[in-house]
Amino acid sequence: MTERPLSGLDAVERGPLPSDLGAAPSTTSIEGESDHPSVAALEGRFGSAILRHSVSAGDQTVVWIDPAKSLEILTWLKEDAGQLYDMMSDVTGVDYGNGRPVEVVYQMYSTTHKHAIRLRCPLPLEALQIDSVAGLWHSANWLEREVYDLFGVTFNGHPDLRRILMPQDYAEGHPLRKDFPLRGRFSRAEQTRRALAQDVERFYGTEELAHGGTPQEVAARAERADIAEAEG
Amino acid sequence: MGLGDLLPGGGTQKSEGGLGMFGSGSPTFLTTKIDFVINWGRRNSLWPMPFGTACCAIEMMAAAASNFDLARFGMERMSFSPRQADVLICAGRVPYKLAPVLRRIWDQMPQPKWCVSMGACASSGGVFDVYSMVQGIDTIVPVDVYVPGCPPRPEGLIYGLMMIQEKIREESFTRHFEHRAEDPALVALAKANEAEIVGLTGPFGNSTQQDKLSEGFVPADVRAEDPSA
Repeated sequence: MTERPLSGLDAVERGPLPSDLGAAPSTTSIEGESDHPSVAALEGRFGSAILRHSVSAGDQTVVWIDPAKSLEILTWLKEDAGQLYDMMSDVTGVDYGNGRPVEVVYQMYSTTHKHAIRLRCPLPLEALQIDSVAGLWHSANWLEREVYDLFGVTFNGHPDLRRILMPQDYAEGHPLRKDFPLRGRFSRAEQTRRALAQDVERFYGTEELAHGGTPQEVAARAERADIAEAEG
Repeated sequence: MGLGDLLPGGGTQKSEGGLGMFGSGSPTFLTTKIDFVINWGRRNSLWPMPFGTACCAIEMMAAAASNFDLARFGMERMSFSPRQADVLICAGRVPYKLAPVLRRIWDQMPQPKWCVSMGACASSGGVFDVYSMVQGIDTIVPVDVYVPGCPPRPEGLIYGLMMIQEKIREESFTRHFEHRAEDPALVALAKANEAEIVGLTGPFGNSTQQDKLSEGFVPADVRAEDPSA
């Protein structure tokens, strides 16, 4: 008998392989100059706060930065005339597991200079804190809430740091962390009991609940809000 | 199809003059069982409450559209208000955050009411054996018919709804409270008790192994050895 070839079912019986054991997250970095004009400018201005840089997927420049200086660097990238990264496409997080740092990832684009850049801030698990950039890009507001919800990273200075996907009173932790069990920490019975005990109205603020009514009422309310905003 | 077509004995016998049942010389009244009339009316005018959360809802819409035409069964009026609905069609996955919403919609529907669990995710959680997903809506609300499939084809949903019609045919007006008893004290509570939930939602397939990966936290020595840490 020749040995039977492995099938997908064998993998099911074997269970999940601890694929992250030993394999380090991508640490490849390019020494010396980068083609990307922002990288040289960042290194010239911030020096040691720029940890390393690399190119991902062919043409995506990635720069690792010191999280302590992240707000300063991001403010400069948005406001400096040579950079003008005015679009924050994505803020997300990566947990590589095994106690390695959680990385907060900023994906930005400059509509003036037609450049994209990706910044990554490694945060040690003991201090999952970073400055919020919601004041610079409004789009970062909900994206940072998502990273807070799923990874437990605290964004200092965020105007409204609440959970955004999981229920407000979710007590099992931050689900996308590698130390989070796939099926949650509580039993299914406890999860069901907690789910049904939720007060559905509490998901929404009073302002959001007031959005009901006839289209005329909603339009009138929006108009009043616009006038109030214009008057300051 | 008129009521007369369904009655035992037909009720459509024509008199010698060739006149129909409502013509002169025919009986102007019918006798039948109240159960028969009530069940006939109920099963041919089921108004669905669509609770579509995922791809199953697309198939549900296809079932309602002209090709498959739920209107043939008296279900053309999708009731987007639970107060005027008879049958809840839960089409798609239900996360725990949505569970109280589903339960409240079920509580708001007036009796008599029925529930169809459409597709693998609504019936058992499907492939989503994860922290966020209800493992079968029968833990939340009572389910009359499960339609298997991922997603089921419109024929599958129609067959499920026809099974509801068959179920209604067997019900009796005099035993209404036996069929449809509902305790107001149980409003907004889970349908299944804790032991039932544990039995219904046990890990299966690859997920039986998944807890192992997550056990405990990373030992300090692994963390120290890691060059990138």
